[in-house]
Amino acid sequence: MPKNPLPLLQGTLDLLVLRCLSGGARHGYAIASIVREQTGGDLTVEDAALYQALHRLHRQHLVDAEWGPSENNRRARFYTLTPAGRTRLREETANWRRYARAVDAVLQGA
Amino acid sequence: MKPFWYLRRRSVKSDVDEELNLHLEMRIDELAASGMTRDEARQEALRQFGDLEATRRYCRDQDETREKTMQRTLSIQDLGQDLRIGIRSLLRVPLLTLTIILTVGIGIGATAAIFSAVNAAMLRPLPYAHSDRLVRIYTDTPPFKFRFSIADYLAFTEQQTRFERHATYTDRAVSFSNGEIAELLRTRVVSWQFFSVLGINPLLGRDFSESDGRTGSVQVALASHAFFQQRLGGRADAIGRPVRLDGAEFTIVGVMPPAAGPLERRYDLFLIQQFTPPTRKGPFFYSVIARLPDGAARNLAATELRTINRALFPIWKSSYQDDKATWSMEDLKTNLIGDVRAISGLALAAVALVWLIACANASNLLIARVTSRRQELAVRAALGATRGRVIRYLLVESGLLAAGAALLAVAIAYGGMQLLQTYGATYFPRTGEIRFDAAMAWVMLALAMSSALLFGLVPALNATGGSVDESLRSSRSSTAGVGVRRLRQVLVGAQFAIATPLLIVAGLLLVSLNQLKLVDMGFKTEQVLTGSVRLPGAQYQDPARIEAFWDELKRRVAALPGVSSVAYSDGVPPNQPGQHNNFALESQAPDQPQAVTPWVAISPEFVQTLGLTLIEGRLLDERDVQPNVPNSVVVDRAWARRFFPNESAVGKRMKSGGCTECDWTTVVGVVSDVKYDGVDQPNQGTVYFPLTGSPFRFLIVRSNGDPRPLAPSVRQKVRELEPAAPLSSVATAADLVDQSLLRPQSLSMLVASFALVALLLSVIGIYGVMGYYVQQHMKEISIRMALGGSRGDVAKLVVGQGMVVVIAGVIAGTMLAFAATRLMSSLLFGVGATDPIAFTSVAALMVMVALLAVAVPAWRAMRLQPAAVLRNE
Repeated sequence: MPKNPLPLLQGTLDLLVLRCLSGGARHGYAIASIVREQTGGDLTVEDAALYQALHRLHRQHLVDAEWGPSENNRRARFYTLTPAGRTRLREETANWRRYARAVDAVLQGA
Repeated sequence: MKPFWYLRRRSVKSDVDEELNLHLEMRIDELAASGMTRDEARQEALRQFGDLEATRRYCRDQDETREKTMQRTLSIQDLGQDLRIGIRSLLRVPLLTLTIILTVGIGIGATAAIFSAVNAAMLRPLPYAHSDRLVRIYTDTPPFKFRFSIADYLAFTEQQTRFERHATYTDRAVSFSNGEIAELLRTRVVSWQFFSVLGINPLLGRDFSESDGRTGSVQVALASHAFFQQRLGGRADAIGRPVRLDGAEFTIVGVMPPAAGPLERRYDLFLIQQFTPPTRKGPFFYSVIARLPDGAARNLAATELRTINRALFPIWKSSYQDDKATWSMEDLKTNLIGDVRAISGLALAAVALVWLIACANASNLLIARVTSRRQELAVRAALGATRGRVIRYLLVESGLLAAGAALLAVAIAYGGMQLLQTYGATYFPRTGEIRFDAAMAWVMLALAMSSALLFGLVPALNATGGSVDESLRSSRSSTAGVGVRRLRQVLVGAQFAIATPLLIVAGLLLVSLNQLKLVDMGFKTEQVLTGSVRLPGAQYQDPARIEAFWDELKRRVAALPGVSSVAYSDGVPPNQPGQHNNFALESQAPDQPQAVTPWVAISPEFVQTLGLTLIEGRLLDERDVQPNVPNSVVVDRAWARRFFPNESAVGKRMKSGGCTECDWTTVVGVVSDVKYDGVDQPNQGTVYFPLTGSPFRFLIVRSNGDPRPLAPSVRQKVRELEPAAPLSSVATAADLVDQSLLRPQSLSMLVASFALVALLLSVIGIYGVMGYYVQQHMKEISIRMALGGSRGDVAKLVVGQGMVVVIAGVIAGTMLAFAATRLMSSLLFGVGATDPIAFTSVAALMVMVALLAVAVPAWRAMRLQPAAVLRNE
């Protein structure tokens, strides 16, 4: 585990959250765990920012929210992608790739 | 109960809290599992989470925003759905929809049209710049308002300090000929500042200047826009061109813009007024207008007018004497429109009442409709629609109806405005200024919205009032039925209460119209043709030449086949006196106020031609027009009775025009009465004096048969003698009488048609309610009949139920009318505002018509087959 986790680039959190939901309905805690696991601790995602992102995406009708039972049978709020959210995820993923390629090309060229 | 938004806010709040708490607890569980104490785990979980409070706020905020937009979208969707369903369900009952849209649409449209006329006449300012500063100045001798003379105006011009600008004008008909055709033009002779007082600039050329007004300058004229287009070819080179008017030459110096206001509309040309110093105070032919400076004190200006007049008075003492006269001023608009409050109020009230009745009628029909839909609405409520939601749906329906009515109303108002512009001029001033403006749009919008509420809210509240449960169980629950019937009865009663005063007013107007028609004109209106001739002043300056023309014209017209006699005068009955004149009787004390009556100049044949009779003394004849004979006049019977009630007027002497140094004028005869001041005015007494000279005369022709066919040949004779002096305002005497009845006639027709519509709607209302009553009580009626009740009893029951409502409405309406009709007494003639015959006959008429309307459902009730009805139940 590197000593200094990277701060998240502005705007990428929404993309990560959408990606986490592409596998199906998840509640906030599960999403936080997935982000933590998959980045291997390279990125710091504050829980606070994560929930704010979820509610923001919900307001934008990119995700749906529904109460349901959690793994240990507690009332949890499950989020799923809406069709609009799915489209947004596709677009943002493509954008991110182009962005990363472009930055990478410049870095290698120099 | 907490408002619904509060409830929603709480649920958002608790949702966010619950979600975040769950997260924290799961994190704590995880940390505790890795060996921390629960307290340490809690600390760590909170640290990892970050700013909990800010997140809570942010999330709540996001959720609420989402909630709100969703609510809005939902309600818009709901509204769209309501509209779709509303349109569909209204189209399913086309007759009802059409009836409501038609009646309410006519109500709104007619009200808006009448409003447009009232707005143009009274509410809108005159179409002149800063028109509130314009005043009319006149000589005030109550009850008369006299115009100024040249002497008055010149003195005013010299001494006034309180007015920014002022001008005088007088009208003159001049003959215009351009070589081929001769026509009579309407011109206004104005002092040079006339247009700058009004704030109007010429479109082409220049305005009059001060030097134009000096005696001896070239005579100049301004052309109206219409005259410029039609007679001057509409080309700019018309400026500077001479025109021949009455044989004299005027130079056109400018063209005015299309006329908008009452002071300059309907004139062909404006001629410059050049004053010559007067030798006596009269005659009084000059109207004066003035503009006050901005913010001027009106009372100071008025005081100044009185002061100037007082100083002026002694100078002219010898030729004019009436100490009671003062100079006065009033707002120009008030002066021009006259007193139209009674007539505007009446027309507006009448049409607005029709609109109200139409709304009551629509309300009634809709109540019947929602009542029959109670079950449908109850199902909606049972499926979860709130009462507000159902009311909203019903209001959307009535909104749709009102929108349809408003659309129709725009068309009707537009048509009505055209009609009023064409025909309204007989009872409204300034009809030329009627147009569709913002005020009109607001009035229509307000009317449409109040219509929707009036006929929508009552049925909606009523339909959703009962309990869902009860409505579902029985479509004809007896309590609801009674409530609905009561409501409909009240509405129908109100319709009759509104219609009754309308019909009474219409009745009163028709009675006074009839009274006007019965007025004895005092002369034989059949077989009399009148017209007027004005000789061009420039060619006819020699009195002998004028006299010769009139003599020759009389000879030629009298020689026409079918003509029995020919006369001249300077006035014709029933409302064109030559002039009003004051006079001092020999018998009256010098300081007594002088009476004013019509003075008509006549040729000797006048009395015989018009068919008057000589009562006493002798008629005027050729001797009386000779120079140096004593002044003789003939008076009518009203005059003789007014001034000499107990003795003969013949031989009595007076001095006319208040002239103290003139010769005596002697009464030589008394003839029968004729009205000159209007059919509806009392006869003040007329003086006839010999007509001499005068380039303007009325020509009066008595025929042996129908006078109309004579008109072309009389016109031909005038043209033969003098092509520049056309015969104008040709009419039979009967036409003149009809014209003077035009105003009361059109007003009573207008109100009567409104009243008829009101009656019709009320009758539809009572018919509908009683039809509903019979339909609802079929079972009870059948039981009654099965138990031995006669068909007569049934009829009595139904008719009684209906007539109670009608009679209550008519009584209430009669009382309303009793309180209201005195406001219109100025519009009545020969009938009292509370004329008992009019009141009782209208009430009786309403009851009879309603009886007919109630008889139909009663008849249906009588013919019910009890056995069949009871079997179906």
